[in-house]
Amino acid sequence: MAGFMIRRLLYMIPMMFVISIVTFIIIQLPPGDFLTALTARLASQNETIDPGVLAGLRERYGLDQPLIVQYWKWISGILLRGDFGQSFDWNKPVSELIWSRLNLTMVVSLVTLIFVWAVAFPIGIYSAVRQYSVGDYIATFFGFLGLAIPSFLLALVLMYFSAHYFGLSIGGLFSPEYMNAAWSWGKLWDLMKHMWIPVIVLGTGATAALIRIMRANLLDELNKPYVDMARARGLSETRLLLKYPVRVALNPFVSTLGWVLPHLVSGAVVVSIVLSLPTTGPLLLSALFAQDMYLAGSIILLMSILTLIGTLISDLLLAWLDPRIRNG
Amino acid sequence: MKLVRDLRRQAVRAAVLALVVCAGWAGAAVAFQESPQLKALVDAGKLPPVDKRLPAKPLVLTPLQSVGSYGGTWRTATFGGGDSEIERSIGYTRLVRWNPEWTQVIPDIAESFEVNADATQYTFTLREGTRWSDGEPFSADDLIFWDEHVLRNKEITPSPPAWLTAGGEPVKVEKLGDYKVVFKFKAPNGLFLMNMATIRGADILAASPAHYLKKFHKDFNPEGIAALVKQAGAADWAQLFNNKISFPGRWRDVGRPVLDAWMLTAPYVGTSQVVAERNPYYAKVDTAGNQLPYLDKVTIDVMEDTQAIILKAINGEIDMQNRFIETTDARPVIVQNQEKGGYRLFIARPAWSNALLITLNQTHKNKVLRKVFSDKNFRIGLSHAINREELNQLIYAGQSKPYQAAPREGSALYDEQMATQYLKYDVNLANRYLDKAGLTTRDAEGYRLGPDGRRVTFAIDVLTGSPIQSDALELIQRYWRTVGIDMQPRPTERSLIFARLQTNENDGIGWVGGGGYDFLGLLDPKWYFPHEYESSFATAWGLYYQNPNDPNAEEPSEEAKKQMDLYRKVQQSATLEQQLAAMKELLAITRDQFYIIGTNLEPDRVGIVKKNMRNVPDVIPSTSFYMIPGPVKPETFYYEN
Repeated sequence: MAGFMIRRLLYMIPMMFVISIVTFIIIQLPPGDFLTALTARLASQNETIDPGVLAGLRERYGLDQPLIVQYWKWISGILLRGDFGQSFDWNKPVSELIWSRLNLTMVVSLVTLIFVWAVAFPIGIYSAVRQYSVGDYIATFFGFLGLAIPSFLLALVLMYFSAHYFGLSIGGLFSPEYMNAAWSWGKLWDLMKHMWIPVIVLGTGATAALIRIMRANLLDELNKPYVDMARARGLSETRLLLKYPVRVALNPFVSTLGWVLPHLVSGAVVVSIVLSLPTTGPLLLSALFAQDMYLAGSIILLMSILTLIGTLISDLLLAWLDPRIRNG
Repeated sequence: MKLVRDLRRQAVRAAVLALVVCAGWAGAAVAFQESPQLKALVDAGKLPPVDKRLPAKPLVLTPLQSVGSYGGTWRTATFGGGDSEIERSIGYTRLVRWNPEWTQVIPDIAESFEVNADATQYTFTLREGTRWSDGEPFSADDLIFWDEHVLRNKEITPSPPAWLTAGGEPVKVEKLGDYKVVFKFKAPNGLFLMNMATIRGADILAASPAHYLKKFHKDFNPEGIAALVKQAGAADWAQLFNNKISFPGRWRDVGRPVLDAWMLTAPYVGTSQVVAERNPYYAKVDTAGNQLPYLDKVTIDVMEDTQAIILKAINGEIDMQNRFIETTDARPVIVQNQEKGGYRLFIARPAWSNALLITLNQTHKNKVLRKVFSDKNFRIGLSHAINREELNQLIYAGQSKPYQAAPREGSALYDEQMATQYLKYDVNLANRYLDKAGLTTRDAEGYRLGPDGRRVTFAIDVLTGSPIQSDALELIQRYWRTVGIDMQPRPTERSLIFARLQTNENDGIGWVGGGGYDFLGLLDPKWYFPHEYESSFATAWGLYYQNPNDPNAEEPSEEAKKQMDLYRKVQQSATLEQQLAAMKELLAITRDQFYIIGTNLEPDRVGIVKKNMRNVPDVIPSTSFYMIPGPVKPETFYYEN
């Protein structure tokens, strides 16, 4: 087990290096640079930017230097000083921008994850144990529906309903009166009132998928001889179900954990944009559009690293959960 | 709206008029009134009395409809991290500004201004007693600080903005008295005041509060600066300083002294709410002597999605705004929900000349296309082949009208022939012109062949973000197919279009056309002559105008060169009259060259105003150059109870 871990950690070092280079290349791929994007954005709104100002910015941002120099500036800052550089679009340190949004991103993602598990787990088990019952059909129907509806559309519809019927303000995670207030019970309650929409929207697709996976896996297990044997030994049905088949069927739940971490950062970009959530997803998208390379690069780099770490964690968990993987 | 009634009146005369108004006012010693909010602070001893806070002769604004009452919040919304909505709604304060009708430049913070005959010297008289929002006096020294320590500081301003330079030298500000300064240019700079009235002008006053900014300036705080830079997480001191004075960084600096009607209390960061509250030292009053603004507070919700802004509007959460909700596709929803949202509509009149221009790059790197595009008959033929009335019905719901790329009706530069030439939809006529252009042979599919014996085919880039323009272009593709021309609409991401333009790689683009209103044409002439690479009808010539040594630049035609000289003449003229005269000459060449194919005028758009909000005009010019809604004096908006 220890050897397995050390090996995995060592693999991660060259992997990170490659990722950082690829990230930088990807960000440089679109034609032009931040200032081209800025000029274009202004022109599409019938605005212009002063050529003198433009020249000054190009110099200040070092966009006139060769790519390799720009890459080195970025990566050496991260490695030597933990400095992710400055965002052009915001004129602020990248790390500050990301951290300021990470808290709420984490809250939303974790609540969503708990929601997904809390719903999918029991329904999945029920669907499998009572296969082809009315309940199973209903669960299946809603499951497919949840998979099929584009989440941004669901977000728009829910937003409309909550505004129309509950009088909630549009978008964001807080009402205007709490938006800039310090934390209090009132603000927490206000957050809860707004939170359910993103949680449902972000959760439906995953819930539906997990219900189906749980059901399928459990059905596979339930027909295996050891289940009959346990039954013959007189184990209670609940205990029998939870002790072995469910444990085995849990694999997919654990493997999704690996995706949760990067999700915390990129958290369903489209939905966050539609709902105007103050999370990192919209930040990444606008950074890519604006060709704000240090910001976009750092977010992508962070996401990749989190994916690596997440995969590692879920592998370890799987190994702990399933002896077949551990000793296989 | 009577657009240009007295456009030819000289700016100087406007200044004199303003002086007369103020002089008349000064004689009548009226006690000033203030909002109850501030009165409470004065009574509590936390604020000096209103007479001490205002200049002896404050600027008197005449409300559009009626003198208002104090109180209330103006709620708006903006999109993303760098939109200028905030600048236009609560940051429209400068030495001079646009008048509401957008026909002249008028004094704002300056009491008056004078221009010398060759547009090299601009003298501004400030109002004695004007104060920053923190109560410190505003004087000539502030402007000197900006000039000497910001504009001329190489670290803060590596290259000064073009509008503040003439003859290769940045402007020099000299002090003539505590409340009098002169801006001196090395060469004539006739568009200086107009530029100041646009978004650019805000940079001067933002970098002027010397008493506040000196702390962040290396020359004034050599010991303490390093700690401040570290604390702010800035790369160096110049960046720290720039964040304090430039857009959008300055809107994240709560407590920054301003001369605006409202001052920032919650910053512009991420998805949140920006809040600005009444500036107790705001130096303007209404005709009854009430200190402005009427409204206590302005909130701007920062959204990530424009659809959410539209939802907000129909939900009644926006009080006065046109940006983001004036799009053609949102219009039905906005119009239908007036009752529910509790708002009425105002007309936001697009200032530009056209909803969709089509340019064909006459400096194309491909010799064949260059030859074809450069033939005026070819362009005339294509123009006659467009069924503009059908476009109007299908795309603009009949709200528009056929129009070429020309100044709008009612403007001083309006030229009927230029606006209406070659508009007639006539396939036979179109075919005759295309034959005249030498494209007489056709291939098996009926497409015309170029001089090289191959089919004439080209792509027109259009913004992915403008589906309406894409739709129009697809119809035009059909019209042109009927006359044997193969045009491919190519929806392209913004930056890519621009990267192509910079290197002269474009066939042509479909874009919204600037220059409909006079000032827009003067300040942003790229659709009238090859002014820059964005003049995509002759990209290489535009590059030449900016920099003859650019690797992609080419020597322009005689006519284009003449236009370039005329535009230089515009820049060197001191009065609006002379500027418009030179511009008219320039436009006559544009008309005869017929560089660009126009389609339809952009239909009027609608913005929303709360039903009981007063002093909001029914028609407002809509473009960022005008800084909508700034010039219509939001400080005089109020709610009628």
